[in-house]
Amino acid sequence: MSSTSQKHKDFVAEPMGEKSVMALAGIGAALGKRLEEKGFDKAYVVLGQFLVLKKDEELFRDWLKDTCGANVKQQGDCYGCLKEWCDAFL
Amino acid sequence: MSLFVEDPAYLSKSRLKSDLVAHNVALPPTKSKKEVYVDLHLKHIAHNNAAEFSSDEEDQEEDVADKEEDAEIPDPSCLTDDDLKAALLEHGVKAGPIVASTRALYENKLRRLLQSEGHGCLNGVEKGVLYSDSEEENGEKEDEESGSERAKEETVEQSDQAQQRSSQFPSGSQPVMSSGGSLISSQAFSITQMVKEVESRRSLTTSTDSERELNGSNVQEHWSRSTRLDKPIVDKYTINNQSLYYTPKESPCIRDMKLSQEPVEDMLQEMFPNTEATPTGICATRRRPIKGAAGRPFQYAYPDTPASPTTLERREVERRLVPFQIQILVFVIVACLLYLIYVCVEDYSFSPFVALLDSLDQGSDSEEGPLLQAETQDTPALSGQE
Repeated sequence: MSSTSQKHKDFVAEPMGEKSVMALAGIGAALGKRLEEKGFDKAYVVLGQFLVLKKDEELFRDWLKDTCGANVKQQGDCYGCLKEWCDAFL
Repeated sequence: MSLFVEDPAYLSKSRLKSDLVAHNVALPPTKSKKEVYVDLHLKHIAHNNAAEFSSDEEDQEEDVADKEEDAEIPDPSCLTDDDLKAALLEHGVKAGPIVASTRALYENKLRRLLQSEGHGCLNGVEKGVLYSDSEEENGEKEDEESGSERAKEETVEQSDQAQQRSSQFPSGSQPVMSSGGSLISSQAFSITQMVKEVESRRSLTTSTDSERELNGSNVQEHWSRSTRLDKPIVDKYTINNQSLYYTPKESPCIRDMKLSQEPVEDMLQEMFPNTEATPTGICATRRRPIKGAAGRPFQYAYPDTPASPTTLERREVERRLVPFQIQILVFVIVACLLYLIYVCVEDYSFSPFVALLDSLDQGSDSEEGPLLQAETQDTPALSGQE
């Protein structure tokens, strides 16, 4: 629990609804903009990609890196955030 | 390339067949002898090798690479979705749906697997590389993923490994007994260091446990006993003396063998101090509960729903007011009293009321007498009407 940020806690606390992709942990303004340009404008679209990759960590990290250039920490934060959200609500 | 390393005579018939097919060589009749396959193999593949050696190094590498890919799988980007999925499955990767967004990822993954396999073939041990890949993947996964997520699986794996080791010990004990202790050193060779560390500490506490083991208790019971460190050592000594009496047939070599086993088992106990003794030896940790769903606990402790100031005030005021139920009760009692009074008045036909009037008008003129009479006449009339 010590490694999760406030953003992570906020995201995992409730259904994501129509939250923007920048509400994801690890995704800031720059990465969020790149994702939106690629068509991933909402958090649920990224969730869709996460689920299509069968929640596999390695594949999702690679996809994040390829799509928006996230570094290892950002990849890990985003993966952890989505995984925990799925554990809670899926 | 493995081909110029291996002698075709040492390959199996089926392997020779597959190699010939890979090099597009016509197969001989099915029932032909291995020698025929070996000859064909030597002819064609040796011919290819000779061609490789004679050409430039770059060409050689290309040929090797091409042949390797032909032997394995064509370029991942040229594969169809189904072929890509099948190729990944061959390498032990269960791929999800291969859609537009996931295709590139899976192609990269397949390329990585092919490259690692290619390096493995150059070393000449294909199967070993596959195993090492899987181990590496597992190792990487364990490093990447957080400890809380994999902890359960690790404990299960560790418990399985422990179970396997524990099962090895009883099987190992029998040959040791028969050979007279020659295998003790071979069993303990890999863990002598840890044994030395633990032996001095545990030898006292475990000697009694070894006796009990010989009497037929489980290995798990032994583990659970060794965890009870709060037991006084004096009791164990006395028990030890008693058990010696009860089992006079034990030979010292068996006891020594058991003692050498105990440090190993205790080492296991040290390694997995949290595992409790279970009858099946399987440890399963409770899955993290789903948060937010009906009745399940939240992972984060959020404060109770904040009450607005008005609600807080209302709560305080309500505490001081008389409770609602008591109010109703009092109302009902008062209503009953009033009704009783009304009934009483009705029964006596206002006579007490009239008596009151009489007493009030005692000092009045006689003129009021006919009025009173009129009143008394009126009241019976009224009561009669009612």
